[in-house]
Amino acid sequence: MKSKIMIFAVILCLSPFFDIFAEESEFKGEITLTGVFRDINGDEAKFKEYNDLRNGAYGRLRLNYDTEKYFMDFKADDIAYDTQNYRLGAGMWGKFRANIYYNEFPHNFTLGSRSFYQGIGGNYLTYPGAAPNLNVSTWDEFDYSIERKNYGGGLKLEMLKPFYFNVSASREEREGLYPIGVSLLSPGGPALEQLPMPIDYTTTNIKLEGGYAKKPFFFSLSYFYSQFQNDNNMLFFRNPSAAPGVTTPDIFTLPPDNHYFKLAFKGAMKLPMNSKFSTNLAFSRAKSEADLINYYINNAGAVTLLTLSDPKFRGKIDTQNYNFVLNSNPISFLDGKAFYKHYKTSNKSDEIITTDLTATPPTVVNELFDYKKDAVGAELGFRLPAKLYFNAFYHYIITKRDREDIPENRDNLYSVELRWNGLDFMVPKVGYERLHRRAKFEGSIDPNDIEFWVRRFDAAAKIKDTYKASLDISPLENLNFSVVYKHKKTDYENTILGLIDEKSDLINIDGDFAIGKFVKLFGYFGYERINSNQVQRQFTTAADPRTAPTATNFNWDAKQKEKEYDYGTGAEIYVIPKKLTLVLQHDYVRSNGFVDYTVFRALNPGETQDNIDIPNWDDYRLQSYMIKVVYNVVKGLSLTVGYAYERFKYNDAQYEGYLYTIGPFPTGSSAALTGAYSKPSYSTNLVFLGATYKF
Amino acid sequence: MGKRISIFISVLFVFLSVLITQSSVKGDSQYIGSEACKDCHGDYYKSFIKSIHNKRVIPGTPFNRDGCESCHGPGAQHAEKGGGRGVAILAFGRKVDAKAKSSMCLKCHEESKQMAFWDMSKHRSASISCDDCHTVHSMKEKNLKAMDPELCFGCHTTIKIRANKQSRHPIKEGKTRCHDCHDPHGSFGEKMVKADGVNDLCYKCHAEKRGPFMWQHPPVEENCLNCHTPHGSNHLKLLTSKPPLLCQSCHDESRHPGTIYTRSQTFQGSAPSNRMYARACLNCHSNIHGSVGPAFPRGKAQVR
Repeated sequence: MKSKIMIFAVILCLSPFFDIFAEESEFKGEITLTGVFRDINGDEAKFKEYNDLRNGAYGRLRLNYDTEKYFMDFKADDIAYDTQNYRLGAGMWGKFRANIYYNEFPHNFTLGSRSFYQGIGGNYLTYPGAAPNLNVSTWDEFDYSIERKNYGGGLKLEMLKPFYFNVSASREEREGLYPIGVSLLSPGGPALEQLPMPIDYTTTNIKLEGGYAKKPFFFSLSYFYSQFQNDNNMLFFRNPSAAPGVTTPDIFTLPPDNHYFKLAFKGAMKLPMNSKFSTNLAFSRAKSEADLINYYINNAGAVTLLTLSDPKFRGKIDTQNYNFVLNSNPISFLDGKAFYKHYKTSNKSDEIITTDLTATPPTVVNELFDYKKDAVGAELGFRLPAKLYFNAFYHYIITKRDREDIPENRDNLYSVELRWNGLDFMVPKVGYERLHRRAKFEGSIDPNDIEFWVRRFDAAAKIKDTYKASLDISPLENLNFSVVYKHKKTDYENTILGLIDEKSDLINIDGDFAIGKFVKLFGYFGYERINSNQVQRQFTTAADPRTAPTATNFNWDAKQKEKEYDYGTGAEIYVIPKKLTLVLQHDYVRSNGFVDYTVFRALNPGETQDNIDIPNWDDYRLQSYMIKVVYNVVKGLSLTVGYAYERFKYNDAQYEGYLYTIGPFPTGSSAALTGAYSKPSYSTNLVFLGATYKF
Repeated sequence: MGKRISIFISVLFVFLSVLITQSSVKGDSQYIGSEACKDCHGDYYKSFIKSIHNKRVIPGTPFNRDGCESCHGPGAQHAEKGGGRGVAILAFGRKVDAKAKSSMCLKCHEESKQMAFWDMSKHRSASISCDDCHTVHSMKEKNLKAMDPELCFGCHTTIKIRANKQSRHPIKEGKTRCHDCHDPHGSFGEKMVKADGVNDLCYKCHAEKRGPFMWQHPPVEENCLNCHTPHGSNHLKLLTSKPPLLCQSCHDESRHPGTIYTRSQTFQGSAPSNRMYARACLNCHSNIHGSVGPAFPRGKAQVR
């Protein structure tokens, strides 16, 4: 009797779900298994920068269950590889939807790097003996690589319409090694060494949002919380430049733990005359906490003790953001928008007084940087006769920041755009935009101080003009073609030292063409040229760039020129329609960089204005070819076989002739490097064979 | 006076009754039902009945209203005239005004979180309509015509080319998608980004850079885009330019910041310098995004 009651109770509990199976349902899915055979020459890290392509079998699964009331969707990719991805979503139509996911991917920087240090991966690096062993062949190998693992889930409630409620949580774990470098004694001083920095980060995010969406209103209130945790807040390392007998490790500080929350209200209200008022009011706070170090290894390799006003630094930055936007479409041929935005950060972090009796001045206090932006603007869109559309906007932005050189900017941003829809098969568009930035300079008033002449490009006064033109043509239903041209020119009008001007030209052509039901062709071409010009001064005593040049006080300039072009072509050929498809693809990217230096002083023996130039400045070529055949054996079953070739060739002056050790380390301008980013070139052949079954 | 009001109300009542009756008669005669569409548009009908728009349990779906005619408008005249693309019906073709097409979708979807700020969207002002990206007949995720990023690359061809550069986010691998950062339906952020400011957006994935740090680098705090470009770069780390020149364009001082570093200071040059070869300035200034290191010059100079 008891068991019958229990069975009855279970049936009663499950009864609400019986109709899942009772109603008409559709269960479908897809399973793919692909074998990959790979042969690689050269650097594996660049080829596998974000992937995990190796010899093996890759699985992919899709499952979908759908009824009138319920749904379920499951996706799995790259099962058991470092790029695996799983997502399960389910719910009741119109009531709720929930999802959980797991996703990971690597970011490979350099594999097979080397270092004389022991303890790599941890936060204490040391080496045996009195001095590092500089025989690179004896150094331990390790990989600069970070693996990101992200998992989480969410729930969306729709059953209370017009009210809604969403909640989601996620966690991301990052593990690996990242290259950093340190000068061993005085910054900018002798000896450089590269260190593998341990990455053990965990970021946890939670978001709650509730709202109401029913004409004429929309409003939502959301709360976002994020916590960043670093398992290693410091990297201790034995400094090879430390004086004999100094056993105190040197320290490189790592990102501190932080917490962040954001509270936001968003709202919108429909108004008469086809208008809408929208607003966004948000407040956020970021906090961090770090234990401070009270010593450093000084230029003699000894320990200098510091006195700190507080052994702990507590960082706190509050951010306020307000947006008010009014959109209006009062008459059919006019669209209007007016807005105001206020964004302000308030840095309320600790100001720590550090006293170093050996330094000049002996006390230093960290400066707290914050800034605010106020932007106001209007946008208008007109429908003119002959199917012409005219859009224009004007934005006025004031930026105020706690910075000694340029504490204030006032930007005037204008834009006009004309589009013509007069022909059904063609849409030409032209546009112009001008940013006129004025900068309030409050730096040095002494021409003998270099700061009098320097204008930092991020805040410097400038005029930036952008010209755009594009043409979309679709003369036939199966032919699409587009051309885009963009020219940008920036003049830093008051800059004497710093970035003087930048110029770029870009042209893109993109198209696709389907020939009946047999062939689909596609292709693109892109060309970009970027030029910049900066003027600098090297000096020991005379900072004024107007003074007559000497061997140690002179001006110089650098003109950087980048030329890049890309193209890609491809075809899908339906050899036997719906049965046998051939896919061909070729992509090519090439970039050439050049630095044209000019020194305004007497040339040194053997030096010319040309042989100091750098002809290989991030030059690279990336080319790939792919051929693939897809054969549909029977309904639901298809086989794929293909071959791909990819080649990346990198040539850069800063890595050419790479050396792990330079000079009599750790003295003078010597270095002990680990090989980070040193040889990214590779070529690879890939054969893949796969089967997909759809049900 | 009271009599006049009564007459006025009576006339108004009669007038409105006639108007309502006429409009309902007119409405009924214009709508012919989805079954009628099926005869000529079999494939579209099939995809419609399998779509979310045909769900009975979701209030307000086309199923619960006028079926195909909920979106395409009444079909009587279209049928009477013997059909044809766009003949007396909204066919969502290229010739149809973008606003007219979108307004059809917005009749239902405007009352949602996703579309609440469509009026502010750059896509809207550029006359992009819902059907440029979605189709109820696609049977794909979110009824998209193609998946992100291919869908976005269809129009944003310059971004497509940038994503091919040697330094990039994992866009090709599908691990970063356009809609991770941008809201195509409109947002308060510039370039339709899903944040109030650029740095707020970047810190979502790069939380270690959020600080707050004791020793800050002001241009970093103000805008990541001062040094980085998000869609792809020819330079490592998505930098807009290459160190040391990138750094020197702001830091021109005596000693090494203002010193010219040329080919001579590379590994193969006559005087290799650790301010030029490999990562140049970043060889030593590794905490460029901020530091909690010990005082000047180590922490402040972001070398510890």
